[in-house]
Amino acid sequence: MAVESMQDIKRRIKSVTSTEHITNAMKLVSAGKLRKAKAIFEKTNENSHYITHMIAEIFNSSPEDIPQEYIKGNREVKTTCYIVITSCRGLCGGFNSNILKEAQADIDADWEEPVILAIGSKGKEYFEKRGYNVYDDYLAPPENISFMESREMSIPIIEMYNKGEIDEVVLIYTSFISTMEQEVKNVTLLPFELEHDPDIMKHPKQVEYEPSVKEVFNYLVPKYVEMMIYAAVVESATCEHAARRMAMENATDNAREMLDKLSLNYNRARQAAITDEIIEIVAGSEAQK
Amino acid sequence: MANSIKLEIITPSKMFYRGFVELAIVTTLEGDEGFMYGHSWACKLLDIGELWIQEEGADKDDFRIAAISGGFIDVKDSIIIYTDAVEWAEDIDKERALAEKKAAEEWLAEHKNDGSQKDIDAAKLAITKANVREHVADGSHRHGR
Repeated sequence: MAVESMQDIKRRIKSVTSTEHITNAMKLVSAGKLRKAKAIFEKTNENSHYITHMIAEIFNSSPEDIPQEYIKGNREVKTTCYIVITSCRGLCGGFNSNILKEAQADIDADWEEPVILAIGSKGKEYFEKRGYNVYDDYLAPPENISFMESREMSIPIIEMYNKGEIDEVVLIYTSFISTMEQEVKNVTLLPFELEHDPDIMKHPKQVEYEPSVKEVFNYLVPKYVEMMIYAAVVESATCEHAARRMAMENATDNAREMLDKLSLNYNRARQAAITDEIIEIVAGSEAQK
Repeated sequence: MANSIKLEIITPSKMFYRGFVELAIVTTLEGDEGFMYGHSWACKLLDIGELWIQEEGADKDDFRIAAISGGFIDVKDSIIIYTDAVEWAEDIDKERALAEKKAAEEWLAEHKNDGSQKDIDAAKLAITKANVREHVADGSHRHGR
């Protein structure tokens, strides 16, 4: 054991202690934010499946009236728009790097120039640094996003899709499994891939659509995209807090472990110093005789 | 007593209402329409307008009124209304609605010729929404606008 001086060890203990205080405080803050975000997420999650279900139902009951450009297989996929949801702040473990890794892998697999919509500054910085064309960004902290804001983000996407500037919309976000576990997900929003799912029964009764099936569908598709983006942002914010809480918990644990070791070293050094002094005194008194 | 039907009103962030109603009146794109138990299945788009519901067991003229900003209604064995925003009459901040209306009107008067079509549409939409909210807050009657 290399004996460091007591002063050095003391200094290190001080610095590790203050780091531990910070990480511990951040952990508590994240835990509080996580609780709030989770409540919103659970409510949103409960509702978003209605829209998807409706679209599938309409499709199954009257496939011939539906605008074909929204259905997979009717349109050649050239330009893909990637919506990448990251966080705006760091210190959340592998949260951002996991997303960006997945997004990068996807973009690399596609030889066409991608259109990127970055939600969260981390994603924007990453793609800008690598020379990609970031079409649009949204940088406010995701936990405060309102549905209206997510709507504004999705309107240009639908417009571009309808104009044929993009042929596919892929959403890359983090999905919340539990507070301990999150998973990067990759969802194709448009065009739809709807199989005739046996779970979704054809309506036994005639359904009256007003003004027309086509218009109902034209309303539902943008709604679906809006809902999915909103739900993904909310979910991703929940994951960010969960990831940060985990990261900060680990950091706090590590700091405590380090403090234990350091204080042991400090005590050893103190003991050694005392022993040295005693030896000196004894040697001195021996020499006096 | 009439039969009642389950009604759910969903917004992106929450379940606004869930309960049994005897009658629900909404403004569809083609006019006001009431839905009761046993209505034929339908799926209709809604306009910005008022929503009136008569809850199970309520008196004949006892309606709860809300302002609703478009969406769609799905009528099957139960009714589901999906909308971006909805507010009960008693929760509407009338002052705010009026202020919003005024701001939008002023903007429109100023930018009538130089504003982009999109902004003009947005301002007009804001005025319509504010009007509806104002009427609903006043407890106005259907067709009274």
